[in-house]
Amino acid sequence: MTDAAGERTGAQLKRGLRIATLLVAVAIAGGLGGANLMRHWDVYEWPVAQVVALAMLAAVLACEAVLLVRRRPWNRLRWAAVAVVLAASALSYATLPDGRTSTTTDWIFGAANWAGFTVLLDRPLRTSAGFLAAHELVALLHLFLFDEPDRQALARFATGSVTVIGFPLCVAVGAAVLRGLSAAATTAQRELERVRVVEAVAAASHRRRQQRFTELSASTIPLLEGFADNSLRPDDPAVQRLCAIEAARMRRLFAETDTVADPLVHELRHCADVADRKGVEVELDTRGQWPTPPVAVRRDLTEPVLTVLATAASRARVTVVGSADLVSVSVVADSGEVDVPDPATPGVLVETLRNDETVWMEVRWQPTAPATR
Amino acid sequence: MAAHRAGDEVITAVIVDDHAAISAGVSAWCAEAAPPIDLIDAGERLADVWTGPGAAADVVIFDLELVPGRPDFGELRRLVHSGRRVVVYSQHTDDATAIKCVDLGALAYLTKREGPEHLVTAIRAAARGEPYTAPSLSGALAADQSPDRPRLSQRETEVLRAWFVSSSKDLVAAKLNITVKTVETYIARVRVKYANVGRAARTKSDLVTRAIDDGVITLAELNQTLDHTEATL
Repeated sequence: MTDAAGERTGAQLKRGLRIATLLVAVAIAGGLGGANLMRHWDVYEWPVAQVVALAMLAAVLACEAVLLVRRRPWNRLRWAAVAVVLAASALSYATLPDGRTSTTTDWIFGAANWAGFTVLLDRPLRTSAGFLAAHELVALLHLFLFDEPDRQALARFATGSVTVIGFPLCVAVGAAVLRGLSAAATTAQRELERVRVVEAVAAASHRRRQQRFTELSASTIPLLEGFADNSLRPDDPAVQRLCAIEAARMRRLFAETDTVADPLVHELRHCADVADRKGVEVELDTRGQWPTPPVAVRRDLTEPVLTVLATAASRARVTVVGSADLVSVSVVADSGEVDVPDPATPGVLVETLRNDETVWMEVRWQPTAPATR
Repeated sequence: MAAHRAGDEVITAVIVDDHAAISAGVSAWCAEAAPPIDLIDAGERLADVWTGPGAAADVVIFDLELVPGRPDFGELRRLVHSGRRVVVYSQHTDDATAIKCVDLGALAYLTKREGPEHLVTAIRAAARGEPYTAPSLSGALAADQSPDRPRLSQRETEVLRAWFVSSSKDLVAAKLNITVKTVETYIARVRVKYANVGRAARTKSDLVTRAIDDGVITLAELNQTLDHTEATL
């Protein structure tokens, strides 16, 4: 699962909760509240004021429904909506007959809380709690200002408050938990992915190392074994040449995994460096532009260079001339006898020219040509 | 300008280069050359090329970047237009700069990695009014892909490339089964073709005239340098 998928799941959870809360609010405010309003129509001094209060709540819930369908949050309108809900509450209580707080006549006590809570669902828990407290305060003001409350009225108000504050608060806690879960799931997912990538990288580099070791074992190991059993003498010039070639091959191998603009020249530079260290003056010059050859071809192109460089006495010139359809690597050096293995990949040609003390070896590769001669 | 001819008198050259070590090195190479070349060190003072003993020198060895990062093509153009024979000696190794110098009429373009065997040869050639193509310039010409370049024959490109790669005319001759003389003729023909396109400069028209006189290239071949038709020697 990617980050995007994680976010999608989180959004789906939030949307589901929003729909459920809206349905609850509509059922309670519209259904229960409206039914109570109708039932006690004759009790109210100003029934129209109660209807206006209900309409205000209905308007807020309708807005929420529209926003929900259009998948938009409340944004700046949120506080206006909360004000409308509190105003509806105040209007309803102002025209509520005395002694009716938190009875079924007081329909808005259990309706406005849900309407306001719906608007504040995606806000932190303390915002919802603050709103519910404000709503409760309006009811409480009415109770103390107009009702001269007795024990029974206070008990009624207290039990009513449990449902009025408790239920929405439960949903709010649920929403907060859901948000936390979603964030934790995303974090866990990211961590899982990171671990998987690390594992894949480790596996790939292990594979590469094994591959490299296999490649070296064909030429380097026999040399080392020769030294171990004293069959090869380090002061023998032929052995020294073999060592120089192996050193250059290793350098090339290490350079192959580097990320550089031009791997061919990069690897040639590493091969040249080995010769440079034993005092051979190496010039490396390039002309033109060429496509990057695959690793196998690059090895064929550099193999003659490192072999000739290993035997160069004092100076060598390495050049790359390339175009889109031909890459030519040349080495000219004052080398003795050189023995270069045949190229492993078809389509790579080696030409050798010997003139007195100088050897000129050229390797050509045609990137686009079919691998036939 | 003094009409010195190689062989008759000692060749004089003036070097403009802001690096004292370069001037001193070139001085030593010129003194060791046989016959020696008389070198005047103008330091970084371009005025000394135009006045005093520098004004009479046969060859100007010109450091293209007296101000680092700003190749002075304008000064090169002025020198060439007043008939001076210029060898550009530059730290620059990019092809475009090399070809631009040739286009402006420099007889030789050498990078500072190219040693006395190329610089001394280039000075002698320039004193005779002849171009010298060092390996680095040869590589630039072989790789030239600009739209207004002259059309070179396949053999000419091969020779340029081989000269760049091997840095030895003996090796080029051996590789391509031709004589060293033929190798030089091919390289000279390329320079004549380059001299024949683009800007007119006194040294360039001298070059073309002499090439036709010597039979290095014919008028008909010169006219074909921009066509597909290729001439063989």
